[in-house]
Amino acid sequence: MDLKTAISRAKRGLREDLRLYLVAISSLTVAFLCLGATLLSVVNLSELASQWGRSRRMTVYLVDGARPRDVLQLRTLLEELPEVRSAEHVSASQARAQFLEQADLAGELGELPPDVFPSSVEVTLTGDVPIQRVTEIAQRLQRFGTVDEVETYGGWFGKLENLLTAGQSISALLAVLVLVCVLAVVGNTIRLAVAGRRQEIEVMKLCGATDSFVRRPFVVEGAFQGFMAALASLVLLLVGFLIVKGQLDSTVTVVTGLHAVFLSPLVIAAMLVGGCLAGAAGSALSLRRYLTV
Amino acid sequence: MASRRMSRDSNVVRPFPFFRAGVRTDPSGAKRPVLVFEDVFKYFRPDVPTLRSVSLSVERGEFLFITGPSGSGKSTLLQLIYRQHTVDEGRILFCGRDIARLTADSVPFLRRNLGVVFQDFRVVPHWTVFENVAIALEILSMPHRLIRSRVSEALERVGLSGRGDDRTSCLSGGEQQRVAVARAIVAEPALILADEPTGNLDPHLALDVLTLFEEINLTGTTVLFATHDHSLISKRDHRLVSLEDGRLIESSEGLGGWHTRMRGVAV
Repeated sequence: MDLKTAISRAKRGLREDLRLYLVAISSLTVAFLCLGATLLSVVNLSELASQWGRSRRMTVYLVDGARPRDVLQLRTLLEELPEVRSAEHVSASQARAQFLEQADLAGELGELPPDVFPSSVEVTLTGDVPIQRVTEIAQRLQRFGTVDEVETYGGWFGKLENLLTAGQSISALLAVLVLVCVLAVVGNTIRLAVAGRRQEIEVMKLCGATDSFVRRPFVVEGAFQGFMAALASLVLLLVGFLIVKGQLDSTVTVVTGLHAVFLSPLVIAAMLVGGCLAGAAGSALSLRRYLTV
Repeated sequence: MASRRMSRDSNVVRPFPFFRAGVRTDPSGAKRPVLVFEDVFKYFRPDVPTLRSVSLSVERGEFLFITGPSGSGKSTLLQLIYRQHTVDEGRILFCGRDIARLTADSVPFLRRNLGVVFQDFRVVPHWTVFENVAIALEILSMPHRLIRSRVSEALERVGLSGRGDDRTSCLSGGEQQRVAVARAIVAEPALILADEPTGNLDPHLALDVLTLFEEINLTGTTVLFATHDHSLISKRDHRLVSLEDGRLIESSEGLGGWHTRMRGVAV
């Protein structure tokens, strides 16, 4: 039996059992949505970790009234360190302007005076500096009279890494759960479809249909269920993402320095193909067990 | 309609049917009987054989009535041919090949050479007439264009021309049986098995259906017609075999001889 005939027969089967398949696809969409949401979180956490990792940095806050000569000396010392890629002085007014630009809150907070924002030296480190070395540099910098405080972001980065690891583990677990869900739901749906089409199957067998002729359309139907569930979940996830991003993007950017991103095309394709294959597998397993031909 | 088919097919030697595509046909097979039962036994209960030492030979192009009381084994005999069941002893040769030795994978290919019609029609009610008939050709992976023309031809032969789009559930009993007959003949099988095809029809329709089978037979297709309806059998002069107590008895005197035997009078 060629694929075209199997697809044509599967279309007929889907029409005949439309309600049954809609219920199954709805159930599976919820499962895929959970997986997609988790993956989206992991993707953005990973992006954040990557960004923080790439721009491994320190912020050296200066005391009020720090002399330009002292600031220049501090910068020169920092740039001589092999671990430091660059050290940029950010004055109070510059810090104020950057904050207002990122936060997109010029209207509300535009009246704040510059001296609310401390001046600082933004230190960019090379990518592979161990955290202990960063801490050591920070401790040395603290001895300078010009330096008020040194922020290494180590604590934040450690927490982010832990969160990312947990997120990845949860994603993997969810992926397995979704696979089991798909196999079970599709399997049961196909079982019901087979029970409802016993008469057709009997007629086909009497006319000389082989086992694969009978089974193949059901496998196509299972694959379709998995694919549609994954697609529906991605569409819902995208809509939700766009709504949330529109409302919270500026706040997130201020807090984390990150613009939220959606799932990559590779992840989207993997979900669609994975859904399709899992659906086909669920159907095939169910047929093996419940369809005696 | 039938006469046109007769003139086209009367000189055609029906090719040796094969069970799998690619197998070479054997021209000498055309001269062999299409169906042979050799000393066949079939048991559903260990002590009482349903079929007992059944031997039968059916030539190509024959029309054979199989009669007997209900439960005599008529359906079982036909079911052995299309491998719904397997024989317990003996052989059944279809076109020279022992059906009992076919593997499960080969049974579909056997059935593609047969057309089977049942008392309960066995059509799919929510399919259209076209779909019910076309399934027999879709199984053969025939191109859709060819399927359309063959199905139209088959529907014309059974008197359902132009009814392809009608849902089968909307048809009368007689029409549904015609759909079943069309499905049985559309693939041009070597042998048609009719298992009480008129059992659910009124006498007028039953005669129509019988006539239909006879027209099909005229084109060269062998027909085995199982029925316990003696009113039908008595109207025709075809070869008749009967099943009594699991044994097959050839009746050379037609239905009259069968009745005589039933009354216990020696012939």
